[in-house]
Amino acid sequence: MTQVLSDFIKALRAADVRVSTAESIDAAATVEQVGFAERALLKTALAQVLAKSIDDKARFDDCFDRYFTSAELATVGGGATDADASAAADDAAAESMASAGGSGESGAEGELVALLERGDTAALQRLLGAAARNVQLQNIRLFTQRGMYMRRILEDMGIEAVDDLLHALVRADDDDPRAARLRELKAQLVENVAERVDREMLLYTANAGTRLREEVLQKTPLARIEMRDFKVMQELVRKLAKRLVSLHARRRRVARRGRLDVRHTIRRNIEYDGLLFDTVWKRVRVDRPKVIAVCDVSGSVAQVARFLLLFLYSVSEVIPKVRSFAFSNHLGEVTALFETRPVEDAISATLNDWGMGATDYGGALAELERLTLDDIDHRTTVLILGDARSNYSDPGDRALRRIHERARRVLWLNPEPRALWNSGDSEMRKLGACCDRVEPCRTLRHLERVISEIARTAI
Amino acid sequence: MSAAPDSPSTGAATSPARTAIDELRRGFATSGYIASEAIATVVHLARALSKPVLVEGPPGVGKTELAKAAAIQFDKPLIRLQCYEGLDEARALYEWKYGKQLLYTQVLKEKLGDLMAGAEGLKESIARLHEFDDTFFNEEFLEPRPLLKALWAEHGAVLLIDEIDKSDQEFEAFLLELLADYQISIPEIGTVRAKHPPLVFLTSNNTREIGDALKRRCLHLYIPFPDSALEQRIIESRVPELEARVRSQLVAFVQALRGLDLKKVPAVSETIDWARTLVLLHANELDNQLVRQTLNVLLKFQDDIEAVDAEVPALTRAAVRG
Repeated sequence: MTQVLSDFIKALRAADVRVSTAESIDAAATVEQVGFAERALLKTALAQVLAKSIDDKARFDDCFDRYFTSAELATVGGGATDADASAAADDAAAESMASAGGSGESGAEGELVALLERGDTAALQRLLGAAARNVQLQNIRLFTQRGMYMRRILEDMGIEAVDDLLHALVRADDDDPRAARLRELKAQLVENVAERVDREMLLYTANAGTRLREEVLQKTPLARIEMRDFKVMQELVRKLAKRLVSLHARRRRVARRGRLDVRHTIRRNIEYDGLLFDTVWKRVRVDRPKVIAVCDVSGSVAQVARFLLLFLYSVSEVIPKVRSFAFSNHLGEVTALFETRPVEDAISATLNDWGMGATDYGGALAELERLTLDDIDHRTTVLILGDARSNYSDPGDRALRRIHERARRVLWLNPEPRALWNSGDSEMRKLGACCDRVEPCRTLRHLERVISEIARTAI
Repeated sequence: MSAAPDSPSTGAATSPARTAIDELRRGFATSGYIASEAIATVVHLARALSKPVLVEGPPGVGKTELAKAAAIQFDKPLIRLQCYEGLDEARALYEWKYGKQLLYTQVLKEKLGDLMAGAEGLKESIARLHEFDDTFFNEEFLEPRPLLKALWAEHGAVLLIDEIDKSDQEFEAFLLELLADYQISIPEIGTVRAKHPPLVFLTSNNTREIGDALKRRCLHLYIPFPDSALEQRIIESRVPELEARVRSQLVAFVQALRGLDLKKVPAVSETIDWARTLVLLHANELDNQLVRQTLNVLLKFQDDIEAVDAEVPALTRAAVRG
């Protein structure tokens, strides 16, 4: 039973459900309570012990259904409420099989032959389960290992005896009806084993591929990400955002040493009869940052803008106040769009509405100054995303300088590699001089770093 | 591990856990709380493994009610701690009765004089005082707050820590000791251990993510909006005066309403309120006018009411037709 359960937990972990050791112990205690006999009850109970968020519950359900197929549960439960009995039965079957394998050498027909010819599916299933455990099928990682594991399982079940018998029968008589039937049964068995191996591989490696892909995607330049990967990317952004939120959700308080909090000090020192042993200092709550995001949405930058906006709005718990602007040849505020529509829709609409035309940095930054200068204060971070290619017109550095003077800081994110900055019509040098920092921003990694920075260094 | 000797393997239908869970469901039903299979299972497990339960779900699906119903069911006092931002140990766990301590020192001033009589020098006085060290810091002067009350309860208790997501993370961390071992450390007294582990329910509306450490120590129950059959049973048990026909119409209407894009979809508690309203108005069938007049019981935002207003005829027709 413990083996079955720990394999299941392994499968859960492969499916990205985080299960701690303490929780696996709880799961074992739960199984002892409810038993394996009633599938629905087992599922409800284990879900409450092992899956602790709505996402996890969905993944748990999926994993449970695949792991405990009804056939599997029948063999695990063995028809009895007590699961240990069946585990013991499994072991017994394995043991008897081992001895059968040994005796197969001496010419006696193995137990497997008997089971096959009798058509005892339940016993076969149990034997298969025991063999899978013996060869540690749960360690399967790669598609190419399938054949090897299949062979090992078959050997463990005692396929050799079947083969020997087949040989002997065929040698005696070419079309022995028993040989034909046995061949058929063997083919069926092999198919069963293959099915089992495939299922387990799916269970334990389901997410390995996804994980690899996510890792690669994080390092791929955003402009080069293909349409078909968008779904994965959005999911990935959401995942990263969630991590950032939990990292920064704690509102920190900073003690301002030197200013006594009289009220709290007196309150705390009542227990010392009013003598001020324990002093309390005034604390300042760290403010949430205000962010003004300005995105160039023309051409290749648009792709990066899409993910920047997606990211920014996904961390609204830690950065609640975002005003966003989009521009190519004109600049306009799109904040309202994001407030009324789902983020993905809003982004597509933004790209559609503002994405046409040649970029005009001079005009856009002047317009930005006109629209936001009154709103910019010492808490505002201005985030500008663009390649700074102004088509040889005014780069708008004077407007940006005035914004910089008011704002807490101005960050410029450039999706081009550093080597291309200042080449051709790129005005990165002029514009960069009016910013606190200029960062290359090509991949999801870069984006995560920038957003994390904004969330962390409030005040 | 081996099989418990008192659990004969007699097939699926009568496993001990199954019997216990069915009994729980029946028990809850008699006290007017319609528990789903998952709810009964989690309560059973919580008692069997003595683990706290973290209950999540949209507002108004009966998270708090569950704790109340459990208190009635097991005949234990319900001790409730409402969480809010800034909740601290002094309000959740214990506080010293400063007033009483001061008063006693004043009253006993003369007695102290007597005690000190004959003591020579400061050192000896202090040594003598030390003999009575714990007089002022013992349980007499301790004001128990909900958590300590739950630990002290003679015959166990049901402890409800409501809306844990509203509290600070510091408080969440502070709860860990209580939830894992049912004990709490008080510097002046030592460790207080529960005589009977209380049955603990924590509820959360998910305004913020609860920490992993806390989740690990709890069983997790998610209560979704009920399906229409369950909601009908809930209304039947809570508002028995309502006619069956109106009940099914009303539930169908609310279920359809939850499918719309609203700021706040109506929860079970609002369905119950609406059912009560309809009883008061002696309604025996839903119609457009009636729905429009009472929509404010169901929907709490003007935007939502306006948005639904146009849909009322279609929704009502669908609900009446069944």
